[in-house]
Amino acid sequence: MGGLALGAVVLGGARDARAQEAIPQTEGWVLVVSRCVICHSVEIAVQQRQGPIGWGVIIDRMVTYGMPLSAEERQALIVYLVRHYGDSQGR
Amino acid sequence: MTDDADTTVSRRGFLIATGIAALAAGLRASETAAQTPAPAPIPGKERLIVRSPRPLNLEARLADLDDFHTPESAFYVRNNYDTAPIDPAQWSLRIEGEVDNPVMLRLDDLRKLPMITQEVMLECAGNGRAFHTPRAAGIQWEYGAVGNASWRGVRLADVLALARPRRSGAHVAFDGADKPPTPQAPDFIRSVPMWKALEPHTMIALEMLGKPIPHLHGGPARALVPGFVGSASIKWLERIMVLPEEFDGPFMKRSYRAPRAEDEKDTYSLQSLEVKSLIVKPAADAKLPVGRTKVSGWAWSGEGELTGVDVSTDGGRTWMAAQFVLPWDRYSWRKWEYDWDPRPGAYTLMARATDSLGRIQPTTRAFNPQGYRWNVIHSVRVEVT
Repeated sequence: MGGLALGAVVLGGARDARAQEAIPQTEGWVLVVSRCVICHSVEIAVQQRQGPIGWGVIIDRMVTYGMPLSAEERQALIVYLVRHYGDSQGR
Repeated sequence: MTDDADTTVSRRGFLIATGIAALAAGLRASETAAQTPAPAPIPGKERLIVRSPRPLNLEARLADLDDFHTPESAFYVRNNYDTAPIDPAQWSLRIEGEVDNPVMLRLDDLRKLPMITQEVMLECAGNGRAFHTPRAAGIQWEYGAVGNASWRGVRLADVLALARPRRSGAHVAFDGADKPPTPQAPDFIRSVPMWKALEPHTMIALEMLGKPIPHLHGGPARALVPGFVGSASIKWLERIMVLPEEFDGPFMKRSYRAPRAEDEKDTYSLQSLEVKSLIVKPAADAKLPVGRTKVSGWAWSGEGELTGVDVSTDGGRTWMAAQFVLPWDRYSWRKWEYDWDPRPGAYTLMARATDSLGRIQPTTRAFNPQGYRWNVIHSVRVEVT
């Protein structure tokens, strides 16, 4: 389990019980909520399910669209997305 | 789960497996919702599922698609990019490119042209994307990126005539007021071939469901290209370019493309909608009383004309013809109904549309990485007690 494990945080609104779930706040998640959301809401990202190649293609395209991301951050972000939003049948 | 393989049972087992795959895809979508706070509902659109707040993508629930005219409160919203509301008094439309008379038009200029009203349905090219396996990238629409409305406006052909297109003009590109959030991301611009631009049903719409088009649906003026995938009907229209070739941008060359056939590598730019149907009644997992009832829903076929909808109540083993119900228009969806008088039991209902282009809804759809062209037969399980 790499990265900055800042501890689980319970988020959620009163109107939806499904939102009462812990989200592990690792470096990957911090990148999602600080870089991806520069351009679009987090829902765009977390409704996807991709394999490592699929996520890599998406992240690389986001960088060409202007998302700031170092090579190290790219690695952490893709690992995070594949681990938590992966599709075992996907590329 | 399945018995010995006679062709009927193994086909049913295959259909069940397809359904389970689709169900699993749906379950993964709700796991997603559990991991982030649920997005706040949008005022006036509270009945819709928020697929994304920014850019705004809202999906109708099947139960809310039970009128020929989808009310504004249940009409899906698909934005590639968001934009601020536009003052109609400030709105203008530039027509440029392969034209002898480049013009800038205001709403009053359009209103001088003959006005037409027609019933047109819109469907997002990615409707059903959530059901592909493996999962495809993009908004995970399920059933409800579809709606039908009355639209009033002017024929695109009459507007183009004001600019006098040259014979070299073979494609017409639409550019709306929506812009990407960074300068490096591509503007959302798409084109249609001139044959479709000049077709009498293709319009610049000014009114939807009897009133000026609401902001979220592209007001004050939008392209409306009936029978084509929704992304051809560019919202917040502000520029038309007449071009010698298809517009050279990522939303033509990279997105909105799919292979024609299962084993093809080459892709084509999506134009016509697929032939497709939805079962709206009864709802999935409904418990029905014994007695006469109607299975009903909608069907459509883009550039084809619907030739029929068949219904199965035994998971696809046998099929019976449903009846179409008026009203419909050339490019609207059509209601279909099937009279059903079941005995107690569990049933898998299916609907399968066919059209004049020789198309029939399939039981599977070959994976395409962007998740388009999903028109697999809709199946609904119910219990009669």
